[in-house]
Amino acid sequence: MIQEENHREKQELKVGFVGNPNCGKTTLFNAYTGAKLKVANWPGVTVEKKEGAMKYHDHRFKLVDLPGIYSLTSYTMEEKLTRQFILDSEVDVIVDVADASALERNLYLTLQLIELGKPVILALNMMDIVEERGMEIDMHRLPEMLGIPCIPVSARRRTGLDILMHTVAHHKEKCRHNSIVHQHPNKVEEESSHAHEHHHELTMVYSDEIEDKIDVLIDRMMEIEFETENYRWYALKLLEHDEEVMNLVPIDLSGIADKSYEAEIIHQKYDFLKGYFEVGFESFSSMVLNGLESLGTSEILISLLVDGIIAGVGGILTFLPNIFILFLALAFLEDSGYMARVAYVMDGLMGKLGLSGRAFIPMILGFGCTVPAVMASRALEDMRDRRRTVLVTPFMSCSARLPIYVLFSQMFFGRYAMLAAFSMYVIGLVIAVISAFVMNKLGNKGSMSPLLIELPEYKTPNKRTIIIYVWDKVKDYLTKAGTTIFLASIVIWFILNFGPQGMTEDMSQSFGAIFGKFLSPILVPAGLGLWQVVVALISGLAAKEVVVSSFSVLYGIANISSGEGMDNLINLLSSQNFTAINAYSFMLFCLLYTPCVATIAVVKRELNSTKWTIFSILFQLSVAYLVSVLFFQIASFITSL
Amino acid sequence: MTLVDGKANKTYTVHNIQLEKGTEIRLKALGLTDGTKIEVLNNKRGGSVIFSVRGTRLAVGRKIAEAIHIEEE
Repeated sequence: MIQEENHREKQELKVGFVGNPNCGKTTLFNAYTGAKLKVANWPGVTVEKKEGAMKYHDHRFKLVDLPGIYSLTSYTMEEKLTRQFILDSEVDVIVDVADASALERNLYLTLQLIELGKPVILALNMMDIVEERGMEIDMHRLPEMLGIPCIPVSARRRTGLDILMHTVAHHKEKCRHNSIVHQHPNKVEEESSHAHEHHHELTMVYSDEIEDKIDVLIDRMMEIEFETENYRWYALKLLEHDEEVMNLVPIDLSGIADKSYEAEIIHQKYDFLKGYFEVGFESFSSMVLNGLESLGTSEILISLLVDGIIAGVGGILTFLPNIFILFLALAFLEDSGYMARVAYVMDGLMGKLGLSGRAFIPMILGFGCTVPAVMASRALEDMRDRRRTVLVTPFMSCSARLPIYVLFSQMFFGRYAMLAAFSMYVIGLVIAVISAFVMNKLGNKGSMSPLLIELPEYKTPNKRTIIIYVWDKVKDYLTKAGTTIFLASIVIWFILNFGPQGMTEDMSQSFGAIFGKFLSPILVPAGLGLWQVVVALISGLAAKEVVVSSFSVLYGIANISSGEGMDNLINLLSSQNFTAINAYSFMLFCLLYTPCVATIAVVKRELNSTKWTIFSILFQLSVAYLVSVLFFQIASFITSL
Repeated sequence: MTLVDGKANKTYTVHNIQLEKGTEIRLKALGLTDGTKIEVLNNKRGGSVIFSVRGTRLAVGRKIAEAIHIEEE
């Protein structure tokens, strides 16, 4: 007995965190695991499954942070993923995090989770906001009505965390409550044609019509010997005409579910919730809101944070502070709840490009790093929208390209260095907009997916969240410098120091030089006909920062960002007839050409199509070539006058 | 009338939504079932509307706003 007890205590409990976007789920998850996750303010950032481990007394937990979702349909990737994860028994206990200040909407998901049949615990987050607004939640009635434990917590103030984990540890077995308050008053129950004796253990009881259909469907599933632990859930999904479940359970629906009852089922769930909460119609403090929401403020704010700061630090010598400030600005935009507003503000303009306002969010994130930006395009439901967004997002100048601009603009543009570097950001944005516009004109128009986004409360950005976010990115940058760039430098060194005759002293006899010389004629019209430039550009496919480190290897300059190093490099380049025009053409090419391999990989994953991935690579390459040739030819012509 | 004609700071009742199925179900799951009360918070000329429903705020583009039939209180 004691042994068994010990054994049970040592077993790891898998806990899944589920909840609406912006409910504070990730903050709560962070509070437990300290994992380097960020709080996202718009649906779709927490798209990947994040895991963390923790200990509470003798219990070991594996925590899984699932994507923020509103329901459990099979219409979106996130919802399908979450549903499958829970159905496949990969969790022992579900912690459903709900924003107590918008309880009715949050509990809709709770009802769906309960129907999946796994032990569910409701964590009521943001109780402090509820109190501030003078609203009240009946903490006795709530668990009675839902039949699950309901624990108030505050992820930000870190209260209630122990109680929640304690409940998780002791709620792993499915415990059924008998004292569930029922939706049907007794009179209806008596007059009903339907026997309700099994309903005392259900949280959500539907109308007689639906309940009768559920019973019939359960019988039919048993007839075909479909095996499951939760017939009721499958029956409900069949009634909703859920595509995945209909394929999985091949039973005849005729006479029972000739049409989809999905809307009806949603309606009844909300009716059930409404009976218990008279969540009054809140009047928002519209003064603050309208002030902030007005278009003027928003654009100034974004321009100040992203463009202003980026432009302001463009000339700084070392690259890390630039990266740091860039991500700090993005963290503020995200954590304050502003990102969702951007989508709203930009919807009109983006509509002209045939894109939804939500497509602007990946584009802004693209200023940070193209990889998460491309992943963020998942929030767009329409495949055509996503494809277009994924194709134009790499044109947004990512932080890895910044060192190239800083180096070359400082070397060649003197006091206009800042302007030269900043112009790259504007050009990137303009090219992205033009590409989206042209694609919209050329492509079959079809129906563009319309804007639908939740606007979370504005809040003061959380210090801890910002620090974790920025530190994570800066660490990423440093790690990349230590790994990818380090490795790429070795590879570059190798192809530059070895040739057909083995190791060679003369770099112009190396593999790199031979390859570079072979390709360089193509780049002559763009003013980039040096074999060193070709090698640097190819090496940039590993990561864009590598272009800079390649130059230092190619020209044998160790301290490339110092004044002395730049003087050396500028002398060497000038001796090869490489002037300011060539430098600008080079910056343009770096801005626009095929992004790093990590981006290509993520584009492939997101579009799930080799054809479109190859198209994306070639598209960016040809745009880069076209723009830099155009610039170089026109600029050379003007200067020769 | 539809949501496009909704005026800021006024309360309406949702009548009927007619959209492509995925979007319609999504709206309903967000609490916008028939008979729900909503308050319009902002209505831009371009047609995108911000409104509050069941304690949360949603923004929708013109296409969706046009498909949400509402009635004045």
